[in-house]
Amino acid sequence: MKDDTARTDPGTGAGPAVSPAARRERPRPLWPHTVAFPGLAALAVLAAVFLPAPLAVILAFFTGSLCVWSAVDMASRVRASERERSSLDAQLIQSQKLAAIGELSSGIAHEINNPLAVMAQEAEWMTHLMGRPDPTPENLAELRDSLSEIVRQVDRCKTITHNLLNFSRKMEPVPQEERLERIMEDMVLLVEKEAGHKGVTIARDYDTALPPIRTDVPLLRQVILNLLLNAFQAIEGRGAITVSTRKAGEGRVAIVVADTGVGIPPENLPKIFNPFFTTKPPGQGTGLGLSLCHGIVDRLGGAITVESEPGKGSAFTVTLPA
Amino acid sequence: MPDPIRVLVVDDEDRFRTTLVKLLGTQGVVAEAAPDGAAALALLSEKPFDVVLLDVKMPGLSGQEVLPRIKAIAPGTEVLVLTGHASVDIAAEMIAGGAADYLLKPCPLDELMGCVRAVYDRRRAVGPK
Repeated sequence: MKDDTARTDPGTGAGPAVSPAARRERPRPLWPHTVAFPGLAALAVLAAVFLPAPLAVILAFFTGSLCVWSAVDMASRVRASERERSSLDAQLIQSQKLAAIGELSSGIAHEINNPLAVMAQEAEWMTHLMGRPDPTPENLAELRDSLSEIVRQVDRCKTITHNLLNFSRKMEPVPQEERLERIMEDMVLLVEKEAGHKGVTIARDYDTALPPIRTDVPLLRQVILNLLLNAFQAIEGRGAITVSTRKAGEGRVAIVVADTGVGIPPENLPKIFNPFFTTKPPGQGTGLGLSLCHGIVDRLGGAITVESEPGKGSAFTVTLPA
Repeated sequence: MPDPIRVLVVDDEDRFRTTLVKLLGTQGVVAEAAPDGAAALALLSEKPFDVVLLDVKMPGLSGQEVLPRIKAIAPGTEVLVLTGHASVDIAAEMIAGGAADYLLKPCPLDELMGCVRAVYDRRRAVGPK
């Protein structure tokens, strides 16, 4: 029987053998810097006690040179490692962007293809009606109905594309006055249908007495949408999301997005706003959503906090200047 | 005169469903509609259909969940997936699950009818199951 074990990498116990090129790229050992040179320096200090002064000076220069070389080598390794890390970070960000674009494109295609399909069918039905020899009042009424349906579907597409344009706007805050519950409601409507399909209900608890706030509306929408999607994804099976607005002390307002999802383990709570932190399986989450929210809320002069209990759900609170 | 093709349209978009039923009627097809997977399965257990036009994203049961149940209730019925969801993965999954084809909305009526007739003829050629 042929033995395949020789073809595996003894370091990992699996996979192909390491090529000579890969062997050459193995990191150089650290022991000369951590053991040999410090040991040599210590010996030189001890030897200086017994040796004549000229020899002690030569030995000091020699070990000093070795230590300088060691420090320069270590510094160059640290620089190379930082360069490699920043290059990996850039690649990671690029791949996250591509994943996000892919997901977004699929969602947009679905949202646009459905109204397009209705419009195409109405046009075909109108062509069919107009092909009839004698137009009856019923036919004309149907033609008018088809036309108004096309207009409705165009509006539906317009809403989708306008939301996307708002979403992709530049990041510098441009304050404008708007009612908080209206900003919330715009985003809730965007996800409510999808949520309904998955058995997730969205409850509203808006404080309608709140006066309009001055904030960058598209940026805040982006935060709310991210929080809603997070809440939606945290719910396995059926559940509920509650969105609310309220006063949060003098000159501040708060929005809360709470879910009955899986919750966040206490050990993960300090990390959830870190870029690229995700508990989703590989390829299913960019780990950038909450980090982006944190950055935006910070720019808007607000703060974002979270309370969570594993198995019961989470509540994200965004406080903003009124 | 050959029997008309019996088609069941399963789609949660009200206007799409009702207009498609009218358009299929103009092509000599006997069409009925269901707004979701559960209603479609109920109709299929009541009467036979030659072809089901099945959406993917629907409330309740999704297209992927309905497909095996349709195949269990009515193994001889051909299923054409008609969806706005452009996903190669879902298309491959549904074809592997027994769907005859995967059509992307918006799909012109003549193209849709071409597919419906093709799967209907294939079904007739194979014989009733």
